[in-house]
Amino acid sequence: MISRVLPVPRRLDLVILSCALALAILGILFVSSTTEGGRFDGLATRQAIWVLVGLGGLVAAVLFDYRVLLKFSFFIYCVSLAPLVYLLFFGERIANVKSWIRVGGFQFQPAELAKIATALLLAYLFENEDDARMKGGTFLKVGVIVAVPFLLVFLQPDAGLAATFLPLAAMALFFGGLPGRAWIAILVAVALLAGVGWFVLADYQKQRIGTFLNPESDVLGSGYQVRQSKIAVGSGGFTGKGFRAGTQSQLRFLPVQHTDFILAVIAEEWGFLGVCLVLALFATLLLRALTLARVARDRGGVFLILAIASMLFFSVVVNASMMIGLLPTTGIPLPLVSYGGSSVATSFLGIGLILAVEYRRFANA
Amino acid sequence: MLRVRENRRELSSRIEVARIVVGGVFAVLAFAYWYVQIARGEHYFELSENNRIRSIKLTAPRGYVLDRNGSVLVENEPAYSLQLYRREAKSVSASIKFAVELLGLPPETVQARLTRGRRYPDFVPIPLAENLSLEEVAAIEARAPEHPEFAIVVSQRRLYKRGGSAAHILGYLAEATPDQIRRSGNVYTLGDWIGQKGIESSYEKLLGGANGERRVIVDSHAREIAEESRAESRPGQNLFLTIDRGLQQLAEELFADRVGSAVALDPRTGEILALVSSPSYDPNWFTRRVTSEEWTSLLSDPNHPLQNRAIQNTYSPGSVFKVFLAYGALARGWVDPEAQVFCPGHAVFYGRAFRCHRKGGHGWVNLRNAIKVSCDVYFYNLGRRLGVDRIAEIARDFGFGEPTGVDLAHEKPGLVPSEEWARTKRKARWYPSETISVSIGQGPVLVTPMQVARAISAVVTGGKLPTPHLFFASQDPRTGVRLRYRGEERHSLAIDRAGLAIVKNGMWAVVNEPGGTAFGSRVPGIEAGGKTGTVQVARRDAVARAGVDPRRLEDHAWFAAFAPIEDPKIVIVVFVEHGGHGSSAAAPVARRLLAKYFGVDVEPRPGEPGFSRASARTAAAPPATSAGVTE
Repeated sequence: MISRVLPVPRRLDLVILSCALALAILGILFVSSTTEGGRFDGLATRQAIWVLVGLGGLVAAVLFDYRVLLKFSFFIYCVSLAPLVYLLFFGERIANVKSWIRVGGFQFQPAELAKIATALLLAYLFENEDDARMKGGTFLKVGVIVAVPFLLVFLQPDAGLAATFLPLAAMALFFGGLPGRAWIAILVAVALLAGVGWFVLADYQKQRIGTFLNPESDVLGSGYQVRQSKIAVGSGGFTGKGFRAGTQSQLRFLPVQHTDFILAVIAEEWGFLGVCLVLALFATLLLRALTLARVARDRGGVFLILAIASMLFFSVVVNASMMIGLLPTTGIPLPLVSYGGSSVATSFLGIGLILAVEYRRFANA
Repeated sequence: MLRVRENRRELSSRIEVARIVVGGVFAVLAFAYWYVQIARGEHYFELSENNRIRSIKLTAPRGYVLDRNGSVLVENEPAYSLQLYRREAKSVSASIKFAVELLGLPPETVQARLTRGRRYPDFVPIPLAENLSLEEVAAIEARAPEHPEFAIVVSQRRLYKRGGSAAHILGYLAEATPDQIRRSGNVYTLGDWIGQKGIESSYEKLLGGANGERRVIVDSHAREIAEESRAESRPGQNLFLTIDRGLQQLAEELFADRVGSAVALDPRTGEILALVSSPSYDPNWFTRRVTSEEWTSLLSDPNHPLQNRAIQNTYSPGSVFKVFLAYGALARGWVDPEAQVFCPGHAVFYGRAFRCHRKGGHGWVNLRNAIKVSCDVYFYNLGRRLGVDRIAEIARDFGFGEPTGVDLAHEKPGLVPSEEWARTKRKARWYPSETISVSIGQGPVLVTPMQVARAISAVVTGGKLPTPHLFFASQDPRTGVRLRYRGEERHSLAIDRAGLAIVKNGMWAVVNEPGGTAFGSRVPGIEAGGKTGTVQVARRDAVARAGVDPRRLEDHAWFAAFAPIEDPKIVIVVFVEHGGHGSSAAAPVARRLLAKYFGVDVEPRPGEPGFSRASARTAAAPPATSAGVTE
């Protein structure tokens, strides 16, 4: 429902927009660096098209009244989960997981959209919850809202993608005011479960679970990836080897370099400076989003910004840690930068929603 | 619907916390990248360079080995080997399994090689199997797309053309051990084959040449993208040996069922014309990877086929020693050649009877005749007069007690006993009666056949002690330029022309006069001289008592010969372990070799190669031993 009377004054936050655009352009640049002339020739153009699609979504999200979206969020949530259920039963396995839907020449991951839908529903949930302490009922609702898409994706099975739902839960519990004792209880429960599992299960069972969670890479395989990625990052040094001059990436020592490992390519070719640029852009974007959240007009808007920011934050940190072996490889792309239509498009959609909240900060509709 | 005043205080403070968390996490990330890129940057840069640059060895073709007339003894043939590039393997264990199953390799061996290879960086390929057949090569090439981690390397395999012939001269190749790699200062790398014994080892540098190297840029699938640099290899030199293939072959045939060794030297230069150590082994076993059974049989063989008996086994010289004692004493004026000694068949010294090998005695003998008939009593008396230290002085003059300097490794020095040796090394005083034994080459004195050959050379050339050697010439295969051997004369004995004539005459008489101990082994038309020797392994009564393995208690047989008398061209030393008497077991071998060398036809005798009943019937075979005289 586009407002007939545009609210005044319009506030498009240029800091967030320019950071997002800069990251997207970096992404296109480095996708072209690693793919041109090779097996993946032409992916940079595709990525540019997806960025444009994402920008379209961003504009639409800004102009559309997010409050209407919040109001219908439960419906949106249910609709977005439908393809996940469909995939689970009828999905086509691509790279061992059933997480893709093919439309024409493009593939799309419905889970990406489900993340936005889940964010909306959580924001709607907290619209009317302003207790200093979280109520038990709210806790349960948060749990169910996040657990359903998490499990659907987890069973695809795509543990990495499923994990990106977890920051939503953490965000909701933290900002929703879960008492400290409850946090401790949750942590203890998780630790106990993991600990018991570790001792009770036999090695081969653990291995099977590992293979189930992450079918693409056996232990040696992922060891190889991390090693090559670390070499790429480390060998970049301070200023890097120069654009398109990275030996690790240009000679394809790096695995899936234009998607999950694109930051390693940037690190190799542009060095520490390039990494700082990327990190600074994300940090600026996220800190600005938190500022906007603080001053958002309504509680739903606050939580919407926080939800989207938390997902971005999680993906960036996990992906950047993966490159240098701080975390195991999990197939989480770098938002806005990594090659991948659904990831880029939904990231822009999310950015659009953040902008939308700010856009209507002083509106009275 | 907008509530007038919602409670934002808590929420705002949590957002403030979140800002700090976000800022903090990004700072930590930036620090982590700083650590990897700046602090450890150089380390990773090096790794990335190694990642993309692969060094491919250009193995230098190893030089051929030829005899002095240019007939090829050792050459190369193409061989295919399988190498594993661990870094390319998705799962090393799966790769190993694939190779083991495809090629039917023994899993333990492959595992052992893998374990050894893991000591080196992962871009160094691990050699898994050698000598693949063309079918096996094809099978691997067919699966190459799935297994980029394997590489087939074409190399040159050493081929010892005549199997076990001259094995102790040639030696063999084997993979460089980690220890050898370390000692070479990493000139050799894993999987390099280097000479392990014989001239393959002595002239490793010459034969091996210098490997070249290609440095190529590869992608992660080991596909070559560009060549960065190329250093051509320098092929190894062809090596001509002093060996005369015909003489060598005959000597080996004569030793086919004997245990022992023979050396033929050119006394003027020290060139080794033939060198046999029997039993032998086939060096090709090592090139084709010796199997554990072959290894066990080689090692457990009581006759130690791997040992080069001509330089690594030491024996008492027996009566051959009398020649050196005679010449040494003459040259130093310690003996009057015409003084006669009466030999009644035995002599008593220090209250003990020492027997002459001829029970009836030789009667009155002078020095020349004492050599001819090998009279023990004469030399007992000479030795007693000289004393062990002067005997030792003479022995050392002839190069005993030290390696001859032959161009083969692991040569034994032997032993020259003296009073000082008894005191310091043996820790038991020297008994005068031992001197009596030493004066006929028994007792603790120990020599190698090579040392005897060198010492005989010194006797017959009148005092020049040559350095025996196998190196004849080397030739650069690219330019054809030959290098000749330039040996240095290690030292000379005092030359005594009169003494030389007497000793030579005595040795001539051994072969050419009736009553000489090797009269039966003379070759018509060749003016040769010689000296027999028989080494008692056990006392005669012990032989009778033992009965367990009489073969191993048999005497050792020596024969040292030279020809012609004037200006000798060849010295031949034959040693037959447990052969019996020098005259019957060793001298006939020398006879055949002399005949071969001078191109004289002689009839093979029973038990010798080439013998046939027809020839035995037509020719009046000379007696195996001369009448009555066995030493």
